Amino acid sequence: MAAPPPPGNTPRRLPLEGVRVATITVFWAGPHVTQLLAEWGADVVRVEPINVVQPGTRFAEHVAAPEQARELAEQGQIFVYYPDFEPGDEPWNRNSEFNAHSRNQRSMAADVMQPEGREAFLRLIEQSDVFIENNVPETIERANLTYEALREVNPRIIVLRMPAYGLDGPYKNYRAWGTHVEGMIGHHLIRSYPDETPDRMSPAFTADALSGVTGAFAVVAALRHRDRTGRGQQIEMPLAEAYLPALGEYILDYTMNGRITPQLGNRHAAHAPHGVYPTAGEDRWIAIDVGSDEEFAALCGVLEAPALASDERFQTSQGRWMESEALDAELGAYTRAHDRHELFHALQRAGVTAAPVHDELDALASEQLAAREWFEETEYPGVGTHRYPGLLFRMAHTPNRAPAPPPRLGEHSRDIYLELLGYSAGEYEALAARGLVGETYAPGVVQWPSD
Amino acid sequence: MAQLLEGMRVLDLGRNVAAPFAAKLLADYGADVIKVEHPAGDPARRVGPFLHDEPNPETSALFLHLNTNKRGATLDLATPEGQRILRRLAADADAIVEDFAPGQLEAWGLGYEALAADHPELVLASITPFGQSGPYRDYRGSEITLQAMGGSLHSNGSAARYPVKLGGHAAHYYAGTAAALAVMLACYRVDAGERGDWIDLAVYETQAGSMDRRRYFLTVAAYTGYPARRQSPGSHVISGVRPTRDGYVNVAGMHRPDALLRLIGREDLLGPEGIERSAFTEPGAFLDEVETSFLAWLLQRGKREVVAEMQDRRILAGLLQTTEDLLQDEHYRSRGVWETVDHPETGPIEYPGRQLVLSETPKAPARRAPLLSEHTAEVLVDELGADLGLTRADLPRLRAEGVV
Repeated sequence: MAAPPPPGNTPRRLPLEGVRVATITVFWAGPHVTQLLAEWGADVVRVEPINVVQPGTRFAEHVAAPEQARELAEQGQIFVYYPDFEPGDEPWNRNSEFNAHSRNQRSMAADVMQPEGREAFLRLIEQSDVFIENNVPETIERANLTYEALREVNPRIIVLRMPAYGLDGPYKNYRAWGTHVEGMIGHHLIRSYPDETPDRMSPAFTADALSGVTGAFAVVAALRHRDRTGRGQQIEMPLAEAYLPALGEYILDYTMNGRITPQLGNRHAAHAPHGVYPTAGEDRWIAIDVGSDEEFAALCGVLEAPALASDERFQTSQGRWMESEALDAELGAYTRAHDRHELFHALQRAGVTAAPVHDELDALASEQLAAREWFEETEYPGVGTHRYPGLLFRMAHTPNRAPAPPPRLGEHSRDIYLELLGYSAGEYEALAARGLVGETYAPGVVQWPSD
Repeated sequence: MAQLLEGMRVLDLGRNVAAPFAAKLLADYGADVIKVEHPAGDPARRVGPFLHDEPNPETSALFLHLNTNKRGATLDLATPEGQRILRRLAADADAIVEDFAPGQLEAWGLGYEALAADHPELVLASITPFGQSGPYRDYRGSEITLQAMGGSLHSNGSAARYPVKLGGHAAHYYAGTAAALAVMLACYRVDAGERGDWIDLAVYETQAGSMDRRRYFLTVAAYTGYPARRQSPGSHVISGVRPTRDGYVNVAGMHRPDALLRLIGREDLLGPEGIERSAFTEPGAFLDEVETSFLAWLLQRGKREVVAEMQDRRILAGLLQTTEDLLQDEHYRSRGVWETVDHPETGPIEYPGRQLVLSETPKAPARRAPLLSEHTAEVLVDELGADLGLTRADLPRLRAEGVV
């Protein structure tokens, strides 16, 4: 069993060195937890079948043809993308979604729905500190991998379960992505345009993001507790409930005042102007946030807009807020003539809170991110050299780079089975011969576009 | 019963949302958190909504929500006496969370190097818009501007209109949660015998690394040269937000198109082996017919019925609820999500209670947010008075000098 040293004995380079995390996560929320733990030193082992395709991880369920992918990329849609749209021989090791969040991890082949895979998984649990999953609750129950089952194997295990809505309650087994969760808890309506029906909005996945970080926080807190008391535990953290605190003031406005928060779009509770305004170029915008008379005067000064500064309607915060639609329209007429970056710097120099709206190509060219060496340029075998998103935060006395590539499917199976789980080479080869373990999908599992 | 973070001591020097939320996470799960406010109070006290819409520093919903389970003291860190007191408070702290402009703490003699000199285990988390370095270090940032530059704002909304932000303070809640994670990581490393650390967290960079599409689309852009874009309504057939008889639902019909066509009674559109995926990628009469049938089916039903029927067939679907729908929803009620917290000004009202259901260390009932300066005497005199050379008799002087 993994028994971390008592506090104070063994200095660690990275905070989570020596912590092993077994994971069966899909889509974004669960993988975000494991990404964060792996970045700070945990040995994260992804348990993945090779005899069937597990949907929502490496997206081998849909190998994207280059023509179709290019068309959807031009539309800027969420899809399965490979470098230069080329699936290559192993597209499941090349897709942008998996590679965006899986660095520094290991991959072990096992199908936990089969007896052989379950046996290997339980041996891994014996050697692990944490298990993380974000599947539909009934799936974990069907696999008999609940906390009650796992703690029989390892009483010190910490189990993080991240269902969409909970391990009980009427929505227990409701299937959802982040976009559905956000509708259910009110976020979709709150963020919708104030003057249009809410079906005009593209999906957001903010619940995946927040629950990912909250889950990582909870795991480290539970590790601290376990190291002090010897006791593991189950952490149940539904995505919906992880996001509720981010809506706290709206929830209290209802419980305190009975007010239902309307669709707000870019409207602020007190600031005006507060929004996104057109600048020179196609689909180019600047965000401006004015909270005081001084800032409004400075804004009008930079825009050389004395008519706006002297307009009777806009003399007070209250007046600007009440007339914000008219103000937004007039302001847009001024900003439209400006380059968004020149205006950004001019406004910041004048003490006005503003920033250009950046798409991902802008972000890759950001001078601030470049100066802070935020992106990590790394070669992934079989993928090439690309820039990847950096860390959410950095520390002065702790290493801030952990640049191992994401694991190829099953890449570490042999090492893990033989060296960690106690299988003999013969036992491993027997499982490999049956297509249950290995370093790639068993023949016929993946459907190719031309099939 | 023991709390998850029992024994952890934290100072919250934060204002508004991000740093106070980081400290709230620690406080809610058992850390002893002292919130140190300027004598004028956390600016969040001046942000609504307020009880009955009457501005009152003790009834801001934002402040009440973000500061549960903390004790509150006031201290003007610009005064030498305030700085002396803070240094003493810091000596007992495992971690400090702050959000002053870069260089401000150092200017007060309260920077990381100064505070850690005699207390190497200290963890200091500094939250700023753009970080402690780089050309934008001293630039201002706010929720909408940091979402705009750092996050996915450009792809929120409809292709035909202006981009819109995520609701409320989404970026700052995310950043605050990341700060709480960073504090836990650094403290866990201290437990292992290492020294403490200074955490540099830029809200801008948490947006850039956010799992809400940005880190994925940054990788897409690096792989293909294409950024994300706002979508046109209806650009995803049988998927997205759709009207029903009594409100809106969000469905992912494309995830299981065969099941959806059977559900709406259009088995006739299925081929012998089900739907060819390619049939959905080429616009035309087929898609128009599918979408028209789907809309007609939806408009004959209520939203709850639609979602229940779809979930029965394992089709991803959810409601678009208002905050009222949410507070009345039987699911959340049955799970005990809401927690009633009493307060002298507001009376008992319901708050979002816990996000973690912990089998071994269940969260204790919440204590309300502190009134302004409520625990100043308790913390500065009763607990530290001997060390600081302060008695209750000194408080009027400190008050008159503007220190507390």
